[in-house]
Amino acid sequence: MTRWSILILALVACSGGQPAQHGPETPHPEPEAPEAPKPDAMPDTPVLDAAALAKSAENTALVPSPVETERALVAAGVETQLASLIPKHTFDLEKSDVDHAAVRTGVVLGDMLLTVKTAEKDKLIERLESVRKGLGQLEGGSDIDKTLNDYVASIQADAISRDELLKEFDELSGAIIPELEFNGKERVVPLIQAGSWLEGANLVAQAVKAKGTPAAADGLLKQPAVVAYFSKYVKTEAEAPQQVTKTLEASLATLQGLAEKKEPLTAEDIDTVIKTTSDVLGLL
Amino acid sequence: MLTLTTALLTGTALATEKAAEECVQTKVWDAYAEGWGVRTLTSTTLQPGKTRNYLVTLYAGNEYRIETCGDEAVTNLDVLLYDTEGNVLVRDQTDDRQPSFTYKPESTSTFYVVVYLRGVKEKSTDAGVGMAVVYK
Repeated sequence: MTRWSILILALVACSGGQPAQHGPETPHPEPEAPEAPKPDAMPDTPVLDAAALAKSAENTALVPSPVETERALVAAGVETQLASLIPKHTFDLEKSDVDHAAVRTGVVLGDMLLTVKTAEKDKLIERLESVRKGLGQLEGGSDIDKTLNDYVASIQADAISRDELLKEFDELSGAIIPELEFNGKERVVPLIQAGSWLEGANLVAQAVKAKGTPAAADGLLKQPAVVAYFSKYVKTEAEAPQQVTKTLEASLATLQGLAEKKEPLTAEDIDTVIKTTSDVLGLL
Repeated sequence: MLTLTTALLTGTALATEKAAEECVQTKVWDAYAEGWGVRTLTSTTLQPGKTRNYLVTLYAGNEYRIETCGDEAVTNLDVLLYDTEGNVLVRDQTDDRQPSFTYKPESTSTFYVVVYLRGVKEKSTDAGVGMAVVYK
């Protein structure tokens, strides 16, 4: 059992077991019954048309992880370790507003996932501490803070293997953070995911540029549903837009245009991806 | 924070949801040993006849497995993959409470994973259900 187990179960309890975004979809207009319908009274296949699916679907599982993206890149014929392309970021960890803290935390989380098996111990701890600080600024709660602190101690003491850490951090990214409530701030999780995704897009674009194979990124960068999901949360900003928000909004609009392009991506498109994602990353 | 009343009202649902999530978590850990990574692991409570629908992006070149678990009240849980036009592409072929399927998309696209609570034990009105997307 991983350390996240207890935290996951606690999160389930704190969520009240209720769906995060939408209620369950009803395949047929069945009346609410106090007793369960007989199994044979239910259709083999729930009747769900495209409109019903689009209206009811949750986005919990929408965004691919950076490691998953790297595997797809290799499958597309670009044998590049994205970790080798990660630049030396100079983030300002004291910028604690939601826009900065969430996107920055997402970027560092993405970097941490890509480098967990290869990074020097000090660098790994530095990234983990950055994630911990960001989640603290975002009011992720004391449980996650304590758990991440325990990981820092375990890494310092060489008490956990890198394989085990990859598993743990994968779970942190895919199961724990999406369940955190961040004191009711709905935008936090999408913005963290946006940070990881933008970092991944930047690295993928760099990788295909270096190989001179821009079209190899078609299946990785053309994700209109993912970009639209991020844009929705950027645009619903209630307070005065921060600089990061404005730049992120412009960047996502550019990426949305490329995602909807029918023709294969060109070298010029890849340069656009690198520039527009770097514009956001440079503000963090 | 849960109030005592809320905790009492939802206690049964929470317990079953926890059981379903633990079950899926075990499957994910087993999958790690076979080279899979996890995209998402989540849980919910469903009423019989209802579905929970998740939008997912699946990459061409990667293989995906959808793992699900129902709690002990479940007799038949189904999991299906729909395209964005509402067509069923894949479905599990079992009548149990831990269905799964694998899928390797030909092109990168968005799909819907639909978890469908088809059967529960008599007098059960809802059940905990866990779902995970793993890839390799």
